[in-house]
Amino acid sequence: MQLGRECVLVATALGAVTGVGLALYPGLSPLSIGLLYLLAIIGMSLRIGRGPMLAAGVLSAVLWDFFFVPPRFALRIDTFQDTMMVAIYLVLAIVAGQTAARIRTQARRERMAADSERLHRTILEGVSHELRTPLAVIGAALENLENADAARSAQLIAEMRMAARRLNRQVGALLDQSRLETGALRPRLDWCDLTDLLQAAVTAARDALAGHPLSVSIAPGLPPIRADFGLMETALSNLVLNAALHTPPGTEIRLEAGRTADGARVFLRVADRGPGLPAALRERLFEKFERGERGRARGLGLGLSIARGFVAAQGGELVAEEPAGGGTVFAIYLPRCDPQPESG
Amino acid sequence: MSPAHPSVLVIDDEVQIRRIVRFTLEAAGFRVDEAETAQSGLARAATQQPDGIILDLGLPDQDGTQVLRRLREWSRAPVLVLTVRDTEESTLQAFEAGGDDYLTKPFSSRELVARLKAILRRVQAAPESAVIAFGEIEIDLAARQVRRGGIEVKLTGKEYALLQLLAQHRGRVVTHRQILRELWGPHAVESTHYLRVQMVHLRKKLERDPERPRHLQTDSGIGYRLVET
Repeated sequence: MQLGRECVLVATALGAVTGVGLALYPGLSPLSIGLLYLLAIIGMSLRIGRGPMLAAGVLSAVLWDFFFVPPRFALRIDTFQDTMMVAIYLVLAIVAGQTAARIRTQARRERMAADSERLHRTILEGVSHELRTPLAVIGAALENLENADAARSAQLIAEMRMAARRLNRQVGALLDQSRLETGALRPRLDWCDLTDLLQAAVTAARDALAGHPLSVSIAPGLPPIRADFGLMETALSNLVLNAALHTPPGTEIRLEAGRTADGARVFLRVADRGPGLPAALRERLFEKFERGERGRARGLGLGLSIARGFVAAQGGELVAEEPAGGGTVFAIYLPRCDPQPESG
Repeated sequence: MSPAHPSVLVIDDEVQIRRIVRFTLEAAGFRVDEAETAQSGLARAATQQPDGIILDLGLPDQDGTQVLRRLREWSRAPVLVLTVRDTEESTLQAFEAGGDDYLTKPFSSRELVARLKAILRRVQAAPESAVIAFGEIEIDLAARQVRRGGIEVKLTGKEYALLQLLAQHRGRVVTHRQILRELWGPHAVESTHYLRVQMVHLRKKLERDPERPRHLQTDSGIGYRLVET
């Protein structure tokens, strides 16, 4: 709770007890009213932090002494018994408040630790699944290879190749993510031909693209872009791969390159007419190890995090857009810079 | 008797795993059916009535353990769990949910075939009868009598209950937790030492060599299983 709201709560609660006490005064003994204050303190301690709780403890003791402990309307205490009563009250109020606050902090810490452990387990399980599945395919295929005829051998080898490519991609993704996090990424910007770039991205994702019609369009007259070919290829192929994996078979995937309306930037867009993204997921998906709705998606959950990191390292921007006709669109924007005409 | 070409349903969301398992099983003489999700897996199990099921735990729409529980509400088809999860906890959960065997990926295809054949055999060799006989042992469930080589063996109440539980699930692992809950109640699920003591007694009375039990086998860390051969 905010400090301001905590102070309001303290003032309201102590004001209310004081009001009740004044209304019932001679009927209720000062001791009973003191217990009412203590009740309010304990009630509040379940809601507010340690600092305000300490202030509330002291303030309630002062109010009680001033309004109810004889001599009334003075901060003075005359008898030994009253002094003892107020002193004990003060100790109780402070200890009760601080203990409750400490218990609450402890509970919150435990909850956070449990959350983080759960997240950790989910991530570990995802990584283990992504690495072990292709290994399992390769291992089982190898065993079968021993007594297979030529046709079946070819089939098994194709499976192993595909599994090896997937394994390579996932290990690559883990390395890419750690390169991003350790700041070891040094993009080497050079002129890149868009046709080559889009072709390379499609090739890298070819296993997943089987069964998806693909269209590639590049706006006429678009100059080469300034980018790191390898990083841009990874970013684009991650987007293509996502489109292929998260839409039903047969869904068309479109790759488009062009200039923005104002001509200042170049965009590279991967669009599909699949089920689309819930608005709430659109930004969260860029976080690492985020796999969208629990369990529905496969993979490490690193593709978009890496793609965004790589694009940003080259001075660009990767966003999820909301297409008018449904489906999903991821767009990379790069500052446009035209190559200098050859001099001489 | 077992059909010449038993049918197996493979429930796994990874297409490559399904293809390689199909390849392996068809080479071993099985007929193979596939399902990609928990939902379609349960539906195919109901309509096709396969002789056995190979089940992945990490399915996209529902956890495999949950699938097992739902399957066990109406099906006794043996289930081999094939998963990347290699913790003791997930193994225990799979057995408790009604799994018959558990194999982790990466797996050996020869082992997969051998284990699948074993669980198919066990189910076929288990007619519903009041007398269960294996080796020199006879358990008469109706009379609550146990004979070894034709001579009655005196068992205590707990020993008999333990033997009966294993006999009812013969061929399958019964976890320590399941046994403890059944015999001693829910508060005792951690007290595995009760169980170990009873098992020592039972083996002494029934096994020829209690140190190397043939029928009352340990699945270390998991539970016990009654093996008939």
